[in-house]
Parts: sequence; C-alpha cells; structure tokens
Amino acid sequence: MWTLLTSSSSFVWDSLETFAESTGVAALVEGMGWRPLAMIVVAFVLLYLAIKHKFEPLLLLTIAFGMLLTNLPGANMFHTELFEGGHVHWDIFVANAGLLDYLYLGVKLGIYPCLIFLGVGAMTDFGPLIANPKSFLLGAAAQLGIFLTFIGAYALKFSPEQAASIGIIGGADGPTSIYLTAILAPELLGPIAVAAYSYMALVPVIQPPIMRLLTTEKERKIKMRQLRPVSKTEKILFPLIITVIIALLLPSAAPLVGCLMLGNLMKECGVVDRLSKTVQNELMNIVVIFLGITVGATATADAFLNPQTLKILVLGVIAFSFGTAGGVLLAKVMNLFLKEGNKINPLIGSAGVSAVPMAARVSQTEGQKADPSNFLLMHAMGPNVAGVVGSAVAAGILLSFLA
Amino acid sequence: MIIQAVSWGWTEILWVALIGFALVFVLLVALIFIMKGFGACFRMRTATIGKKQVVAPQPMISQEEIAAIATALKIYKSVLHDSESEVVTILSIKRAYSPWNSKIHGLTQLPDRK
Repeated sequence: MWTLLTSSSSFVWDSLETFAESTGVAALVEGMGWRPLAMIVVAFVLLYLAIKHKFEPLLLLTIAFGMLLTNLPGANMFHTELFEGGHVHWDIFVANAGLLDYLYLGVKLGIYPCLIFLGVGAMTDFGPLIANPKSFLLGAAAQLGIFLTFIGAYALKFSPEQAASIGIIGGADGPTSIYLTAILAPELLGPIAVAAYSYMALVPVIQPPIMRLLTTEKERKIKMRQLRPVSKTEKILFPLIITVIIALLLPSAAPLVGCLMLGNLMKECGVVDRLSKTVQNELMNIVVIFLGITVGATATADAFLNPQTLKILVLGVIAFSFGTAGGVLLAKVMNLFLKEGNKINPLIGSAGVSAVPMAARVSQTEGQKADPSNFLLMHAMGPNVAGVVGSAVAAGILLSFLA
Repeated sequence: MIIQAVSWGWTEILWVALIGFALVFVLLVALIFIMKGFGACFRMRTATIGKKQVVAPQPMISQEEIAAIATALKIYKSVLHDSESEVVTILSIKRAYSPWNSKIHGLTQLPDRK
C-alpha cells in the first residue's frame, strides 16, 4: 500500500502545484500586484461607510460588495473584455461570461435604471408640483451643475461623452447617471456611480453651507402660502400628460420619464394596488441588488485606480454645488418678480437637485433653523420631484447630442 | 447622433452646454404652462360643479336657541361618564364547574357501543 502511494508522489505534487497555481493568492502574488489589493481595501472602506455610517447603505453596500467580488483575483465573475468598446460582444459572451456579466446586461441594456424609476415614481407624490407648477423652474435651474461640469470635465481632457457622463452627477440622480454613463462612457461607470451615490448620501453635508452662503436670514424666514389641494383626477392625468409631452418632444428621455410616470400612475389610479406595492418594494429591492452589485463590479483596478477617478470625484462635488446654487439663485431671482405674500423661500431651490427626498429634508431643516415655526417640506417636494424630471430631460438632451 | 461627424472643440462644447441648458428650461417652462392651464380648467370645473350644487342657506337660528342647544349638549355630555374612583381593581375569575363550560361536554362523543 505504502509502495503504491509513494510511486505516484510526483502526481500528488503536480496536482497540489496545479491547485496552488489556480488560487487567487497565486494570481495576486505573481502578476496582479498591489492594484487589486488597493481596490479590495477601497471596497472594505465603502462597506464600512455603508454599515457603520449608513451612507446610502442600500446601494453603497451592494456596490462595495460587487467591487470586492470583481477584484478578487481568479474569481472570474466579471469580464470587461466582453463589453469592450461600449458594445456587448455576443459572439464570445456565452462561452466566457460569469455571473456578474449576465447581471450586468441589465445595466448595459438600460433596464435597471428604468425599473428603479418605476419604483421611484410609485413612491413619489407629485401633488406639490401639480399645486405649484412654478417649481419646474427651480428643477430646471438646478440642472446648471450638469452643464457647467460638462464644460469643466472637457477642460480636464475628458472626451465629450465622458464629460456628459460626469456632468450628470450634478443631477443627483443615481439611476439617470448610470443610464447615461452606460450608454456614453461605460468605462467610467464604476467611479461615476460611486461618486453619484456617495454625494447623494452627503447632501446634508454639501448643501447647507451653500444655501446659507447664498441667502440672507430674512430670506430664510420667508413663510410660503399653503399649497392648494390637488384632486385625484389631476394626479391621474399628470403622469399621462408628462409622458406624452416628453416622449413627443424628447424621445431619448422617454424610457426614464415613461417608467417614472408609469410607476406614479400605478400609485395614483388606485386600481392596481398590488402592482404599485410590488414596484415600490419587491421589484425595487431586487433591482437595487442587481444594479448595485454589477455597477460595483465595473470598478476594476484598471478602471478605478487612475487619476481620472480623482478628477471625477472632484468634478462630482462641483456639479452638486453648482446645481444647489443654481436652484437657490433662481428662487431669489423669481422673488424679484413675485408679489409680497407669494414669495418663495430660496431654501427650497436647493431641492431642485433630484436627491428625493433627502434634498427636500435639507431645505426643511435649514428653514427650521432660521424659524422653527416654518414648514418648508411640502413646498420643497415640488422642486425636488421637478428635479427628477429635469435631470431625466437633461440626460435625454445630452444623449440626443452625443449618442 | 447629429454631431457624430463633427470634430469636437471648445465651440461645440460650449454650444452643447448652452443649448442643452436652454432646452431643459424651455421644456420645463412648457410643462409649467401646460400644468397651469390644466389646473385652471380643473378649478373652473370645480367652481361650476360647486355652483350647481349650491344648497339653500340654512335659516338663521336665534341666540336663545343656540344657548339652549349648547346647554343641552353640556348636560348630556356631563352625565355620559360616571366619575371613577381611579382605583384599579382586578377581579378574580371564578371558574366554577358547569356542564356548559366543561370541555368534555363540548366534544362530540363517540357512540358508546357495548
């Protein structure tokens, strides 16, 4: 027995050697260097921020885990070469694809962002916007950050497509950023998604100093007139009208706006409660998992660890800040033309960046700091949901120019 | 799509930014007018329905009658609840045997075949 075993010692040794070579540790030691290790550290930092500090944990946790999976050497779960050049290489897809490649198709084909918008629509009350349509102006002004950052990114030697994808971070709208970037600059999807969601989590930190800087104490104390009640019929007709108008005028924004409005129609019509609850909860949660993990998977060491990522993070903050400033400043300009009693509290202008409902909450908090008896939340929800429509429209316009 | 063949430079970038931002404004301003018109139609419709459904004004009642109703309501509400001692007492539950609360008598008995 012993002789039999010792006679095949070379076979055992070879097998162990082959096994050792196939492990991720060997890949890490041999060829991959420090970069995947650094990415694993970044993934752990993001996991820490999501779990400990609750920074957009629903998305940051899944994104960070996707980042961890894709950078573990040898796991072969995501292959960037299958999506090289911005196209899906179907000829080699089935033979080579890993789990994350299959899930990533939902991002690449623009399915997940639209499904997220379906859920967002079902969770959003457009009543304050219908009651005060002027809010659309604030939603439009807050898109200033997108276009200024588009120029800034081009100045930093990004291509026009990449510049547009970076600029859209200023819309403070995760699904829209992912939708546009997946089409225009898929190579930047990881850094842009991480920047967009990180800054959305930091809205209560980024916005208040800008809001205080651009407004006076007196302006912050302005009390706004109560909004008129909105009938159910108006709430049902609103998504239908918006869908038809946007789809006719800007077809490239139709997938996002259409899904947003379909979700809202499900909520408001009251006859498909089951569907409404499903898109608000189960569907939304499932898509968030898939979206987060696959967007995280695109953050490979090559795509993430370069000077471009740092530039994107800086440009993202600039985009956010200009968006906030745009909304606040337009509210101040509007006040010049409005009669006493109809004036707008400029703090609600910052809610025009579409981080729903975080930006509206920031307006409420800042308003109450100036005057504890002032309630701005419902007024701020108008520009906030207008910002969602505005950023989708801005994305559609950039797509129609650049795609 | 439309500028695919154009070589990108500063002029094109600035124009795209300017036109893009202007278009966002134009589209959303168009939506404001549509929503305002839409809201005005609804308010007019509500006002018309409201006018049609105007009910005849209630005849005024005298102040004595109001006082009488208010006094009657006060008396009625004052006797609605007894004043309580606010001492919470827990009554012991008596479980005296009765065939009516006996479990065995509640079950279907099998026929006693002998």
